[in-house]
Amino acid sequence: MSHFLLMVVYALIVSLFFTLLWRRERKEQIKLFLQLFLGMVGGGLLVAYLMYPFPPGPPAPIP
Amino acid sequence: MADPADSISAPTAPVPVVRPQVGNPYLAGVLAWLIPGLGHIYVRRWRRGLAFFLLILASIWIGCALQGNLYRPQANQPLSVLATFGAMGMGLPYFILRSVFDYAGKIAAPGYEYGTAFLLTGGLMNLLLVLDAWDIARGKKD
Repeated sequence: MSHFLLMVVYALIVSLFFTLLWRRERKEQIKLFLQLFLGMVGGGLLVAYLMYPFPPGPPAPIP
Repeated sequence: MADPADSISAPTAPVPVVRPQVGNPYLAGVLAWLIPGLGHIYVRRWRRGLAFFLLILASIWIGCALQGNLYRPQANQPLSVLATFGAMGMGLPYFILRSVFDYAGKIAAPGYEYGTAFLLTGGLMNLLLVLDAWDIARGKKD
């Protein structure tokens, strides 16, 4: 699985969970789900974009 | 003659909605912890309980498929105790993975970090479900 796909799946699970936990009405559920899901995926992409100019360091040693 | 000041009602605080107690809150909390979603099923939130069960199981399953770390306390690492409590929040699946499948994760696996995040998230989400089931059972939430 790619990093992006895993991030999307993670965002999907967490968004669905909090939508069902915090909202009861369908309209509000859809609104919150979109806010959480797009916020997580969009935020992740934004952070990735900001980190792009910085080269990765050497891989950490496996203990 | 009535005093006009009497007819002006003072702003009142919102009246809290009183709901009947649905079940034993302690039992709801224990069931919610043992099996994800079972607490909600006990307080008759069938669909929500089933959805929570599937979501948390999916998180745990993906975490295991990626060979993530299922935390256990480690010497000289106090934060691992905290992480263990978080992972143990998933309830019975934690102990089944540990004792039946002897699951530990594989640090060299490419998805190790992601898998750890999925497993820990599954446990932490279930801890929130315990509180939610408790509140519903006490009639504080719908």
